[in-house]
Amino acid sequence: MRTPYPIAASVVLISLALTRAISGEAPRTARSQEIYQKTVLPVLSKNCFACHNDQVKTSGLSLEAYRDSSVAVKQTRVWEGVLNMLSSGQMPPAGMPAPSKAEVSAVTGWIENLLGKTSAPANPEGDPGRVTVRRLNRQEYNNTVRDLLGVSLRPADEFPVDDSGYGFDNIGDVLTLSPLLMEKYISTARRLSRIAVFGPELPQKPTVLALFLPKKGPEVSVGTSTGVVLPYSIRGAMYASYVFPVDAEYEFRVRVNNHRDMNGVDYEAPKEKFLESLEAAKHGPPGLQEGAVPEGGAGGEGGVAHVRKGPRGPRKPPTPEELKAREEKATLAFPGVQMVLTLDGKQIAGDFIEGDTNYKYDRPPVIVRVPVKAGEHVIRASFPALADVDDPRRNINPDGRRRMYIEYAEVAGPYDPSAEQSESRKKIFVCGDESAACARKIVENLSQRAYRRRATEREVDQLANLVSLAQRQGDSFEEGVRLVVQAVLMSPNFIFRVEHDPKPAAGSIAAAHRINDYELASRLSYFLWSSMPDDELFRLAKEEKLGHPAVLEAQVQRMLADSKAGALVDNFAGQWLGIRNLDRKPPDPGRFPTTDDELLDNMHKETNLFVTAMFREDRSILDFIDAPFTYLNAPLARHYGIEGVNGEEFRRVELTDSQRGGILTQGAILTVSSYPTLTSVVTRGKWVLENLLGTPPPPPPPNVPALADADLGTAASLREKMEQHRANPACAVCHLRMDPIGFGLENYDPSGAWRTHDGKFPIDASGTLPGGKTFNGAKGLEELLKSKSDLFTHNFVEKLMTYALGRGVERFDRSTVDGIVQDAAAHNYRFSTLVMDIVNSKPFLMRGAEGAKP
Amino acid sequence: MSFNKSLQRRTFLRGLGTMVALPFLDAMVPAFARADATKSPCRMAFVYVPNGIIMNAWTPVTEGEIAALPAELPRISAPLAAYREEIMMLGGLTCNGGRALGDGPGDHGRAGAAYLTACHPKKTAGRDIQTGISVDQIAAQHIGNDTKFASLELGCEDGVQGGNCDNGYSCAYSNSISWRSPSAPMPPEVRPRAVFERLFGSDDFGQDPVRRARQMSYQASILDMVLSDAQSLKSTLGATDRAKLDEYLFAIRDIESRIQKTEKQNSLSTIPTLTEPSSSVPDDMAEHSKLMFDLMTVAFQTNMTRVITMLMATEQSTRSYREIGVAEGHHGLTHHQGDKDKIEKVTEINRFHVEQFAYFLGKLKATQDGDGTLLDHSMIVYGSGLSDGNQHLHENLPTVLAGRGCGTLSPGRHVKYAAETPMANFFVAMLDRMGVTVDKIGDSTGEIGYLSDL
Repeated sequence: MRTPYPIAASVVLISLALTRAISGEAPRTARSQEIYQKTVLPVLSKNCFACHNDQVKTSGLSLEAYRDSSVAVKQTRVWEGVLNMLSSGQMPPAGMPAPSKAEVSAVTGWIENLLGKTSAPANPEGDPGRVTVRRLNRQEYNNTVRDLLGVSLRPADEFPVDDSGYGFDNIGDVLTLSPLLMEKYISTARRLSRIAVFGPELPQKPTVLALFLPKKGPEVSVGTSTGVVLPYSIRGAMYASYVFPVDAEYEFRVRVNNHRDMNGVDYEAPKEKFLESLEAAKHGPPGLQEGAVPEGGAGGEGGVAHVRKGPRGPRKPPTPEELKAREEKATLAFPGVQMVLTLDGKQIAGDFIEGDTNYKYDRPPVIVRVPVKAGEHVIRASFPALADVDDPRRNINPDGRRRMYIEYAEVAGPYDPSAEQSESRKKIFVCGDESAACARKIVENLSQRAYRRRATEREVDQLANLVSLAQRQGDSFEEGVRLVVQAVLMSPNFIFRVEHDPKPAAGSIAAAHRINDYELASRLSYFLWSSMPDDELFRLAKEEKLGHPAVLEAQVQRMLADSKAGALVDNFAGQWLGIRNLDRKPPDPGRFPTTDDELLDNMHKETNLFVTAMFREDRSILDFIDAPFTYLNAPLARHYGIEGVNGEEFRRVELTDSQRGGILTQGAILTVSSYPTLTSVVTRGKWVLENLLGTPPPPPPPNVPALADADLGTAASLREKMEQHRANPACAVCHLRMDPIGFGLENYDPSGAWRTHDGKFPIDASGTLPGGKTFNGAKGLEELLKSKSDLFTHNFVEKLMTYALGRGVERFDRSTVDGIVQDAAAHNYRFSTLVMDIVNSKPFLMRGAEGAKP
Repeated sequence: MSFNKSLQRRTFLRGLGTMVALPFLDAMVPAFARADATKSPCRMAFVYVPNGIIMNAWTPVTEGEIAALPAELPRISAPLAAYREEIMMLGGLTCNGGRALGDGPGDHGRAGAAYLTACHPKKTAGRDIQTGISVDQIAAQHIGNDTKFASLELGCEDGVQGGNCDNGYSCAYSNSISWRSPSAPMPPEVRPRAVFERLFGSDDFGQDPVRRARQMSYQASILDMVLSDAQSLKSTLGATDRAKLDEYLFAIRDIESRIQKTEKQNSLSTIPTLTEPSSSVPDDMAEHSKLMFDLMTVAFQTNMTRVITMLMATEQSTRSYREIGVAEGHHGLTHHQGDKDKIEKVTEINRFHVEQFAYFLGKLKATQDGDGTLLDHSMIVYGSGLSDGNQHLHENLPTVLAGRGCGTLSPGRHVKYAAETPMANFFVAMLDRMGVTVDKIGDSTGEIGYLSDL
């Protein structure tokens, strides 16, 4: 097998070795070896070799291999791992002979000493570190073109997924630029430049611009079509966002399907409200009990007309009189339900849909025409009354199809498009004529904003030449400007966030230096907004005022208060908490029939709103653990079993019982850390350790048998089955840290709903952690986490720093991180304090020297 | 230039919610189809499925090292029985690079990254990913100049967002199977519409030929400009930054050369009927993969590329297959530990994948290509980087080689190579048949035999 080494790495290694030799390392290493031989080796031999020897090689590690001290002092990677295990108390495992505290310190002290010496001299503690030039990732690209050109199309949603490292997708070293991506950059540059300068391509006359097709079931695909497939909602709702091309009037056409099956419904007694009529459905859909799956499943149509069979084969078709009588009864039994159409939450139509026994295909769609401004807007069509139904399956007929649902929605237009200058043109055409001077002004403005720095004379000349090139070819001035837009979007100065080293004195390499104000403006805006700097930041950079501490602080406060700081919620929190992948992990609809796509989206929204509140209210980050509030709407509240919340809109809810509080009990987190069909105490435990405490467990050994889940809850409880984790000390080492946490959350099933039993076994949510601490349930877990506030804060700071800097946090950042953690404690752990401390830190304000690799 | 007419077809399609079956018109051609195929070039493709296969429902029972493929194949490979005259099933091939070799757990991350590279990937979740150059890219680098696209990378499952996918191995290792260089993965395109637009061009150059030509010359000027921008930028940066700029430069040059090829070619040929896919990605994998296989067939037929990789799902995929009634995630099921119910479900998933592949073979067989069919002129590999997904075994990998390789293959046989025969030896043999001679790739030790009669 071949493992090719890049040449650069070998050069670095050689130069490191040379430097070491030159600086007189030899005597110090000899001392290291002496100490190892006298002090460290005996401890290892007595306490560690039992498992970590050449034969058994527990966890793939044999410390016995390093009996020879001259070999030992070279194994920095190994000792890093050992140091990690010793200082976090994971080693030695409970129940095994343990060395005394003094012995452990001797070993850790020796390791720290050794590691300190072997790190490259260019990397002393406190080095600012160096971020490799990084390209814009997808979110940053979308936001940047929105702010640069006023185009909200989100073209980067079609780009390949970004490479991730250290948990985030904005890490300089990790992001790659494939030829496929470059192709997309180029075709997008063409398209965006055309839209920005000439406006979107509008049809000759108003046409259907978009067709939205909500899924008809959890599993059924709507087939190939030219429509946009939307999530499945048992309550029959449809929601989507759409970018409207121009200020104009648009027509929304919504087709409602409405079939209130009479089967089992007591329609002799008319009902005032639709809800009551649903509740009164005598038997409801067959098998509608908790946990059971109705015959029609969680809803879903195969798109085939359902032929109802009577006891003796297909029924005779009804006579016209029978049909009429049936319809009258249905109208009485099923009073009108309001279908509400909203745009960005504001109602634009609210038709009442009368009860029917057939789908009434001849019913026309609900049509409404309203003025809409260009840009992205959210469209929603739903039946708000259904939000308050306890069990959404009451909206499902016995044949499995929903009673009320939005079949499709169309957006047509534009009608009477405005001739006013678009946002985009205002941003681009900063002067009014077509002179060469104006062309130059346009170029200067555009290039400075696109490259996020002053453009050089040469760059301006080249771009301005494009304008004259177009004009020489017989094209318009505007076409020339369009070429300029296309060119800046394709330039590496736009695609990459470049930071320059100052020119070093002859013969030496550039040293660690403070970044200039433009570079600082970019770091700030991409950190807090995932987008380019705005005019105020550019102005301050130009005036060289941005770096002044008072100005910097004021800017950070301003930026955090700006709505663009929502990017921190989507991008930082979304990746920190791992909920970006929520839609890849839906709970199995067979076992969790009330958890439809809409509920998952509601959960995502709950957590987003919660995190937004945490940041906007500048709360203590410890509130993440146990804040006694969240954001709910009726469907989600019903899912959680929380009373007193009605209606589709989200609102803040104070939590008064111990069942919910903080992020650990939010559906998004509970779902993303489960399997589709069952919970996993290990995954949940790992989630907490990794994301909240920053002490992830090491990987499992190979060939671990999987859990037989078929008889879980019947033959043995989950706890009994997981006994093996504790019985075997080699497993217990890690699992004693993880499993109890997961057990503490066992009252929450894979869809985040509360349960008291798993099958026939009552849930026992108590746990004992290594060290003896016991707790019970989520509340107990939260108290435990609160008691580890330093660890929690340390982890949060590291994660936020990684995201802010675009590189992993390294050993030499330790003093910076420790300082921020201390300052946080002194300021009640407020979020803005952490942000400010990171912005004011050396790694953020400076850039290290080239070749400074840890 | 005939691009113009291809574009009219697109605007005709720009309709509303209706699927339009395209009329077949001689005049509607992409500019790259071959004039006449006196000697059709050989094509190669790799179709990958993750998490291994239930081997005892895959491997045909035959005697000896080589035997004819029986008329009836086991349950999972059964959908291929109709093509048994055109395929070979190979056993015994091993991908040693996927094994732990001292690096501990992470077999899925390794399996995907080692499969086409035959190299042992570096264990890292961060910035220094490293494996080898994959066989498809080696081929592309040698023969890619003759076609519009040196290679195409397609897939049915999007990459995972997130850093650590399998026990310390970056998601980059399982998101792609194709590697341009040891540290540069080629991520697959998953959206059928996007593939369609890459192949047939989007019409945003405009329709009027004079205007088209002008627009293309503008783009050429801009490309030159940004290329020189990048070179001068590069010279001001430190070494690590320069490596990133190199990726940019490579990509721009690749596109420029493709444009030059466009301008050189100018021939007419037949084009199959093909509808423009919708912009949404189908939920149902059968639907999704059929769209992709249709596009792959057209790409081969019109000679837009001769090298394609298709990632049906990413290694360690946890996708549920509700299309066939399997609710649990794929990966979890493959760790069945002997549970019959789980094995049954995995078998269903494996077979489902093979059914889609059989569809592809059917399309290739039904497509004329000069003096034969596309299948005659191709070498299509179907396989996985793991054999037993439960135990994470990297030997005796399930492998099908379909096609006649332009007469260089003698299909219809089941070959059992000696244990531990490197998969890379098979790749060397394939490359040889594409006219690309390499001394060694990955851990190859030579070239395997039995692929053709002597």
